Amino acid sequence: MSSAAELSARYAPDLKGFGASLPDELVLGLDGLEGRYDEAQLEQWVQAGIALANHSLRSWEAASEYFRVSPGIAERMTFDQLQHWVELSTELAGESSLMAAAFIKATPSALEQISVADLDAWSAQGGRLCRGNWKSIALSGLYFQHSPRLLGSLSLDAVDRLVDIIDQLTERSYELANSVLEGAGEIFENLAEGDREPFLSFARAVTRASWADTRLYFERGPKLLDGVDDRQRAAFLELASKVTMDVGRQGFPLFADAAASLTQIEHEDHKEMLAFAAAIAPASSTASMEYLKSAPFVRSRLTPEQMERWAEAGVELLNMGNAEGAEAYFRLESTRSEDMLSALSARVELPSVSTMLRMYAKALSGEQVAVLSSEELVDRNIGWMSESAPTTEGTTIYLPPFVNTFPEQASNFQVYKVFTTHQTGRMEFGSFLYRFDMDGFHTTSSAGEREARQAADAQQTTVPVADVTEDAAGTTESAGTSTEVQRYFNLFNDRLLISGLFTIAEDTRVDAYVSREYGGIRPWLARLQERESERRPEVRAMGLRQAFVENLLRASLGRPDTIRWPQTLQGTMGQALAALKVVEQRDATVQDAAEVATVLYDLAVRIPNIPQEAIDIDWVPPDEEMIQIAPDMPGGGDGGDAPMPSSSEEMAFENPEQPDFRGDFKPELVQLMMKLKDQQAGQQDGTASPLTKEQLMELLENSVEITISEWAEGDLASSLGMFLDNLEKDAGTPAGEPKEKDGESGEERGGGDGADDEELKAEVDWFYYDEWDFRASDYRPRWCRVGERLGDEGELDYYQEILEKHHGLVMETRRQFELMRPESFRKIKRLEDGQEIELDDAIEFHVDKRAGVGPLARIYSRRNKVERDVAVAFLLDMSASTDEEIEKQRQKYEEEEEDFQGDPSKYFQWLAQRRARQAIEPPKRIIDLEKESTVLVVEALEAIGDSYGIYGFSGYGRDNVEFHVIKDLEEQFSDKVRKRIDKIDPVRSTRMGPAIRHATQKLQDYDAKVKILIMVSDGRPQDHGYGRDRTEKEYAVHDTKQALNEAKRVGVTPFLITVDKEGHDYLKDMCDDIGYEVVDNIESLPRRLPTLYRHLAAD
Amino acid sequence: MTTIEHSPGFNQIAVEDFRITEEPFYLPIGDEVELFLAAYEQKVPVLLKGPTGVGKTRFIEYMSWRLHQNIGEPSEEGVPLITVACHEDLTASDLVGRYLLEGDDTRWIDGPITRATKVGAICYLDEVVEARKDTTVLIHPLTDYRRLLPIDKRGELLEAADGFILVMSYNPGYQSALKDLKHSTRQRFMAIEFGYPGRDQEAEIISKESGATHEIAMELAKLAEKVRNLKEHGLGEGVSTRLLVYAGKLIHQGITPRRACQVAVVWALTDDLEVQRSIEEVVTSIFEE
Repeated sequence: MSSAAELSARYAPDLKGFGASLPDELVLGLDGLEGRYDEAQLEQWVQAGIALANHSLRSWEAASEYFRVSPGIAERMTFDQLQHWVELSTELAGESSLMAAAFIKATPSALEQISVADLDAWSAQGGRLCRGNWKSIALSGLYFQHSPRLLGSLSLDAVDRLVDIIDQLTERSYELANSVLEGAGEIFENLAEGDREPFLSFARAVTRASWADTRLYFERGPKLLDGVDDRQRAAFLELASKVTMDVGRQGFPLFADAAASLTQIEHEDHKEMLAFAAAIAPASSTASMEYLKSAPFVRSRLTPEQMERWAEAGVELLNMGNAEGAEAYFRLESTRSEDMLSALSARVELPSVSTMLRMYAKALSGEQVAVLSSEELVDRNIGWMSESAPTTEGTTIYLPPFVNTFPEQASNFQVYKVFTTHQTGRMEFGSFLYRFDMDGFHTTSSAGEREARQAADAQQTTVPVADVTEDAAGTTESAGTSTEVQRYFNLFNDRLLISGLFTIAEDTRVDAYVSREYGGIRPWLARLQERESERRPEVRAMGLRQAFVENLLRASLGRPDTIRWPQTLQGTMGQALAALKVVEQRDATVQDAAEVATVLYDLAVRIPNIPQEAIDIDWVPPDEEMIQIAPDMPGGGDGGDAPMPSSSEEMAFENPEQPDFRGDFKPELVQLMMKLKDQQAGQQDGTASPLTKEQLMELLENSVEITISEWAEGDLASSLGMFLDNLEKDAGTPAGEPKEKDGESGEERGGGDGADDEELKAEVDWFYYDEWDFRASDYRPRWCRVGERLGDEGELDYYQEILEKHHGLVMETRRQFELMRPESFRKIKRLEDGQEIELDDAIEFHVDKRAGVGPLARIYSRRNKVERDVAVAFLLDMSASTDEEIEKQRQKYEEEEEDFQGDPSKYFQWLAQRRARQAIEPPKRIIDLEKESTVLVVEALEAIGDSYGIYGFSGYGRDNVEFHVIKDLEEQFSDKVRKRIDKIDPVRSTRMGPAIRHATQKLQDYDAKVKILIMVSDGRPQDHGYGRDRTEKEYAVHDTKQALNEAKRVGVTPFLITVDKEGHDYLKDMCDDIGYEVVDNIESLPRRLPTLYRHLAAD
Repeated sequence: MTTIEHSPGFNQIAVEDFRITEEPFYLPIGDEVELFLAAYEQKVPVLLKGPTGVGKTRFIEYMSWRLHQNIGEPSEEGVPLITVACHEDLTASDLVGRYLLEGDDTRWIDGPITRATKVGAICYLDEVVEARKDTTVLIHPLTDYRRLLPIDKRGELLEAADGFILVMSYNPGYQSALKDLKHSTRQRFMAIEFGYPGRDQEAEIISKESGATHEIAMELAKLAEKVRNLKEHGLGEGVSTRLLVYAGKLIHQGITPRRACQVAVVWALTDDLEVQRSIEEVVTSIFEE
């Protein structure tokens, strides 16, 4: 018998108690090992296995694996090594047989990656994870299971470090540790070799900083890295590690954001950017990551060189030691950063030039035009234009939000100018003043005849057309149309075509005017025309008719030489060009343009829109004669052409793409809006009938100017209805004018426009203000949005009640203030007695006396109190804290006066009394006191005659600072104001900075010698996002302080009154040399406020 | 003209002797010339209303020369023109006259109104609203049919000589509510309103006054029209013709048009940077260089 068989026979019985397979495994194992070891060794091996099986309750599984695996690995080991391995296994089994089993089972695959000598280390790693509890055992088992795969990508050392990480994770969550371990293999396999170590290092850093992010990192990390250039990944990960070790918890989010940003940038640039980021990281890790985060945005605005310069400015901040400032800079949340960006960028943003362009447009056109971004028109869903094309409807000019046509900023600004000038040109030169059948300067109108002919033709087909009647003025009126242009367009079957031709003709006319009248802008107009003509689409790819129209457009750009047209049809083209030249002449009017469009239509309509392939003629440029052709209206006839080619396959016709410097032209719509406006203004245009809704609908359905493309699925009618409402709303409130306070009566507000629709009554004006970030020592640009609105009106009774309640105080205050009122305004001269002697008068007196003339000596002058020219703005804190009852406030600070001497009955008595009191009079809140003080102050100010404004502020967050106008500076005191005082109610938070800035702005806009800003509050400034977190106080205090100083700098004297007993704490900081007062007893506020004012306004 | 002193460098003339001997260039915008001639004949006092730089003073100079043409009378050298620039501290003595010390004696010296009344001159009170109301009222008797000037200190009444006419100028858009003409004063005068001329007329004026070419003058007039559309933006009344003439003069001297407009129009009109920029953009749109 072989030793194997003999041994198995001998020992098998020992194994019988364990799982059934064990003896078989033994046999198999022995078989496998037979040739390799001698008998003694074999016996040792078997005994080891049995010992293992007997070791603990479940260790037979380990033994099973042992028997099964040994033959395989024996090939790689000496017997001694095998022994050693057995010892390792046994050690592990001492902790957990499950673990041992896993270890044994995984050994073969492990040995493919590591050497036998490493087995110790490997087993130790797994062993480390085992802590005794079953979760850790499972983990270590998992480890052994997965580690061979890991070892395929990582060195043993690296795996060791991974185990560290996993070990750390176990302190928080086994589930996390497991998932990381499970996923790790695949992750590392997919990473490039050079990236694995860095990935691991970063993982360590992340785990240390924020263990929860580890999962995210392992889940998303590799994907995020995909966006980074492969050669730079390692560097990026290294940077991320350093940053994370520096900043801690923010590390992973910063990494994720930076990676996302890098994805948006060209890979070639990653190297430089990462190098830069790495360079500044030692000074400020956050700054370096913010830099990467902002990079795509900056890159969209600047060229690489420009970006370098922008970045350098940020580095300077770091060099000066201002890390916070640099962080804000790279985060693009500092004014400095934005200024630098706009200075360097060639791109011109509309907001930076819109005020100036508005004045420019106003000067050129003589109309009160506003300048808005074309995004607004798209938002408003009037649905008529593409986002980047300029346009106008007669009262507002819409321009694209930015211009980036040329590489220089100055040139891009000129582009804006050309856009604007073309739009004002339309206004100045009457593009929207078309009148049906009116003659032009160079042409006579054929519209009337055409209409008559059309009517006659229609009658013959027995379809009655709308009556044509003559009104008193003798002009024909068509009852079915609503605007002049519509009537004109109705003359033509192909509306699309006539609309396109009219646009070309009219634009040519306006271009010619602009060129003539404004020599300064002529070169730029020419440049844009040139540029446009170089970008035109290929004529030969279009249908014939479309090519015809396209060629006309090219002629209108001043480049007739770019025309391409079939040889045999040159006559038609010649006629068309001659016609177009008519509108380029001096004194041409829009009527001429219409007439020219008419003849062009007649020419075009004869041309079929067939593809080039169907025509077998050469396409040639025009000859010199045709380019120089004189303006002339065609006399009819075909101009000597060959007959038109024909084919059955006609293409769909589209108007050529409108050059962007001319923008969209929608005369129908504009006239419609003008008419609606007139109607709403109550004027009736004598020659046209008022618009009915049906007419409007018809107009919209027929008009090609409106592309109602992206409407919600569903009926067109309701979409049109919505559109109409928008149109009417828009017509009723011309841009730039303040809206009526009450919503328009009767009309439904269609299509929610966000903020407008919230409250129909209150109109909110929005203003933007910067906020001071004291850490960065810079402003956050346009950070806060202040919504100014009129306060709600309540009842008149409240005001009266307060007057009656404080009757005595009111009378006293009034008297005090009346005494302050000056009797006259100036220096009074020629008095018999006074403060000063007027020298001129004294001399004159003296001389007169000498001459023998003897009037009384009136040589004195006196100065009365300096002319009172005071304007004061009261800012009341309307935050939720003012809702607090005064009782409660008092309880915080005062002890119970009563001492009940331990007698409960006395206490109950007191409590009952108090409850009774409260039942009669509801507990006063702080806001109530503020209101009462307001009433008193108002009475005082009316007595003295100073100008004053009363405002309340509150809000939530920086986007919604509420500014309530109770009485504006210019406003007269009236019942309305009294009612508004009633309705002052607590709202939410206290963001003082923007409220102060807005009130300061109001005072600045007002004319007065002395300007005062008095703020009444009940606590410190605090608000959502007003500081790093809700508990941080310094940020808000600093910003408020800055706002107060800004007020001082422009000549406004601020003063703070607070009822917060802890006021001194922060007011000391906030108000360096600005006056403030902490009112001890809140109830004395009504008395105190007027007195304070008196002192303030006296100097 | 009796010249008090004549040196190579300057002429010093007594105020009541100042006459215009050469025809000043004035382009009538409406019928103001006829109106003034009629008023003069009828001895009706005249109030000239209008913004600054629009030609009021030039008009009066022209009329004083023109009246000379119509009067073949004693003083063949035209009607004298006496101008008083009014201000807040103007007193009655300033207008009527006062005693001065001369050694140990006193001497009475006539004020401008008194002189004008004596010689029968055009007495032109410029920016009359600036003066205090108690000063203004002393001219009331001169506006009556009596045409008397009381000289209180001397206890005299002065009857105006033939040919005397009282003219005032007044800028309605400029004053605050406090400084306005009292109705008792206003209603003693007939008013001629002056406004900016139309483009063609303005171009002619510019061209004539400055020596600039007609084309340049037309462009300057165009510029003025556009800038006047911006009235509300702190520009007060808009650009005066005078400034345009300055610009024209500079251009005539060889300064580039854009630069000339910058100094003569933009910077003179406003200090607000935004407004300046906007006007400059209009300038660059109109002028090529």
